[in-house]
Amino acid sequence: MSEALLSLRGVRKAYGAVEAVRGVDLDIGAGEVLALCGDNGAGKSSLVKVIAGAQAASSGTMTLRGREVAFHSPEDALRGGIATIYQDLALAPRMSIAENVFLGSELTRGPLGLPFPRLLDRRRMMTEALGYLQRLNPALTDMARPVEGLSGGQRQAVAIARALRWKAELVIMDEPTAALGVRETAQVLDLIRRLRGEGRAVLLVSHSMADVCAVATRVAIMKAGHKVIDRTVAGLDPDMLAHMIMTGQGTEVAPAG
Amino acid sequence: MTALLSRFGTALAGFLVLLFFGAFAENFASPGNLSLILKDTAFLAVLAIGFTLALATAELDLSIADVASLAAVVTGALIQGGTMPALAVLAGLATGLGAGLVNGFAVTVLGVPSLIATLGTAAVARGFGFMITQGVAFVGRWPREFTGLARGSLLGVSNMIWWMAAIGLLAWVLLKRTRTGLHMLATGEADEAARLAGIRTRRMKRLGLALAGLLAGVTAVLLAASLSSAAPNMAGDHFLYAIAAVLLGMTMIEPGRPNIPGTLLAAFMLKALGNGLVLLGAPYYAQDIALGVIITGSVALSSTVMRRAAFTKRLNLRAAA
Ligand SMILES: Nc1ncnc2c1ncn2[C@@H]1O[C@H](COP(=O)(O)OP(=O)(O)OP(=O)(O)O)[C@@H](O)[C@H]1O
Ligand SMILES: [Mg+2]
Repeated sequence: MSEALLSLRGVRKAYGAVEAVRGVDLDIGAGEVLALCGDNGAGKSSLVKVIAGAQAASSGTMTLRGREVAFHSPEDALRGGIATIYQDLALAPRMSIAENVFLGSELTRGPLGLPFPRLLDRRRMMTEALGYLQRLNPALTDMARPVEGLSGGQRQAVAIARALRWKAELVIMDEPTAALGVRETAQVLDLIRRLRGEGRAVLLVSHSMADVCAVATRVAIMKAGHKVIDRTVAGLDPDMLAHMIMTGQGTEVAPAG
Repeated sequence: MTALLSRFGTALAGFLVLLFFGAFAENFASPGNLSLILKDTAFLAVLAIGFTLALATAELDLSIADVASLAAVVTGALIQGGTMPALAVLAGLATGLGAGLVNGFAVTVLGVPSLIATLGTAAVARGFGFMITQGVAFVGRWPREFTGLARGSLLGVSNMIWWMAAIGLLAWVLLKRTRTGLHMLATGEADEAARLAGIRTRRMKRLGLALAGLLAGVTAVLLAASLSSAAPNMAGDHFLYAIAAVLLGMTMIEPGRPNIPGTLLAAFMLKALGNGLVLLGAPYYAQDIALGVIITGSVALSSTVMRRAAFTKRLNLRAAA
């Protein structure tokens, strides 16, 4: 990884007195799947929100494609080519699947082929949303259904489809398989490999050691707001990884048992 | 069936009330009376459309009526003083828009909840209205050019109806057919999700409140033109009606969501109800009581309808799985 797509230096995030992220350096390169692991409350989602522009960092710098950036809103990050699937999914429950997939990046057309005024192209959004979801959850066919009636896994598919929609260079996924069954998980892992194959970068937050070992190229481990480990995944198995997360050290520690 | 009932149930109930008036109130169903109701609806509808657009972004604008009164007074004062009607109209619209922008600033920049901010604006607007008029009304023989805005007609249809139709159509296109409208609704329904999706939610709220103010200005100009007069608190009677129209409208067409066709239909039903009550000889306070019941009842209804809709959806899902 010679040229990092995104670099963080000394990033901190405090919520009042709670210091969630305490000075993290992190580099993510194109074609890389970086797994971000750590116990509950380690600061993973907080770090993700800073990168995604959802929350401002308390201090530290971010460099995107060699240029220092400051995201003041999620819109800035999206425009910068960073799309995020949030842990709580961030869907609009009463809006339809298609509306949620295209929220913030709707398709428009001029009436009767005119260039103006731009009106929503609901029909095309329905068909394209179906296209995005087909790979993730083929059972979802009615794009007009409101999201509030969907199961957890179906919602997750909608959230993932929305992030794909942005064709971002860096896709951040905060526990994307948390609500998924075996088959759906496999589909998401496939998707991550595909993104990597397209030369994009993926930042994957996950508690599943198996998922991390299956798709990640590198793993960073956080503990109490600090990054304690950052190494390649090559040569790691899920047990070793779990041990590293628990102890916060031990690349050279042999696997127990 | 349930879906149909939840979309059109209150509209049906309203229609039954109209039938009742038609049967028992003499003259109610006469073409003359109905077109009177329709014209009367127009003022209310334009004001209520503004409230709908603000509510679409989940902000209340309680200042619309007082701002409309102030804008009418500003327009009236200028007309009375001999200013060109076009300029007077612009001044009225600018007054409304200005108040809307102030509301938007207070809500999105200063962080004052709209319930409070617009209440403050309402009081200030009312104060200015009395200051400008010194408590008396502007009445006069105003130029035809100006009064014709409301009193004239086109193709045999009153201009008021045309204004209502045009503004209703524009607002509907905005809300249902444009990205901006979708962003306003998303902001109103899931503020944080909308923000995370890259939508400028605060800008959407400012837009909703600005449009509410602008439409209060439009209402003011039309009211002043129609009555050839302007007085402080002249739009006051429309306040509860407008809120009731929007909330009752939310029980129709798209239950639980502020929507333009619902607002228009509800505005007509409310005006017809008021008219019917008068024709039946009901005391003047009956209208207030009816409006109050409708306001609370509509919200109760749309929240239960919403819940039931979500409930049935879940049942269907389980049956399908
Ligand atoms: N909005 C907030 N306000 C206050 N404290 C917060 C907020 N969000 C997170 N925290 C705190 O920051 C710390 C880190 O939380 P964060 O959500 O980043 O952890 P995480 O690593 O994502 O955990 P999990 O694995 O459970 O998702 C926790 O102590 C949490 O309570
Ligand atoms: Mg988290």
